[in-house]
Amino acid sequence: MAVKTLDYSGLKCPMPVLKTKKELKNLTSGQVIEVISDDVGAKKDIPALLNKIGDELVELKEEGSKLIFIIKKA
Amino acid sequence: MAETINYIVKDKSFEKFAMMMLLGTTGDAMDIHSNFFFTFWGLNLLTKKFKPKVAGMPTPMKGMGAKIFRKRMAKFGIEDPMGMIKDAVENGNMKLFPCQMTMDLMKIKAEDIIDIAEEPVGAATFLEMCADGKIVSL
Repeated sequence: MAVKTLDYSGLKCPMPVLKTKKELKNLTSGQVIEVISDDVGAKKDIPALLNKIGDELVELKEEGSKLIFIIKKA
Repeated sequence: MAETINYIVKDKSFEKFAMMMLLGTTGDAMDIHSNFFFTFWGLNLLTKKFKPKVAGMPTPMKGMGAKIFRKRMAKFGIEDPMGMIKDAVENGNMKLFPCQMTMDLMKIKAEDIIDIAEEPVGAATFLEMCADGKIVSL
């Protein structure tokens, strides 16, 4: 279960990436967050961020124009 | 060791300022170290109270264009670009280096440079930083 849901709708590149990173910094290993974004660029940008910093993208769902990322802190 | 990307910033436009801000702060989030080397007109971006204008707009609109872009970017969530740069610099992942020789050439004094910038460096110092990394010219 996600400890937090963060809705970044309306924000554009690079804000979803910067804000997601800020949140991940404060998590402990194994904690999960849900990040919502309607920025099309985030579809590739959030996985790129996670790939770089080593946290895990558990799931990416698309609901209409919304992207929902389930992210687990490594 | 974290990856390093080195950037050369040679123009004073709003576009170059924004690119520097976006890439440097995103690099910070991605644990990528960014060195920015400011030379020639790019140095203006490091001077206090300087307001960059939009190079790509017709001359009478360049200043207004920057205001419009800033407003639109604020709506995207980018409300305080300079504050974001400061955070990335404080995190140690973004470094702003003025080029000493072009500072002298353009008569820009050390006291004109913003506090978050590093000490001025020369070409050899920058190339030494780049030796094992990537260089991007903005």
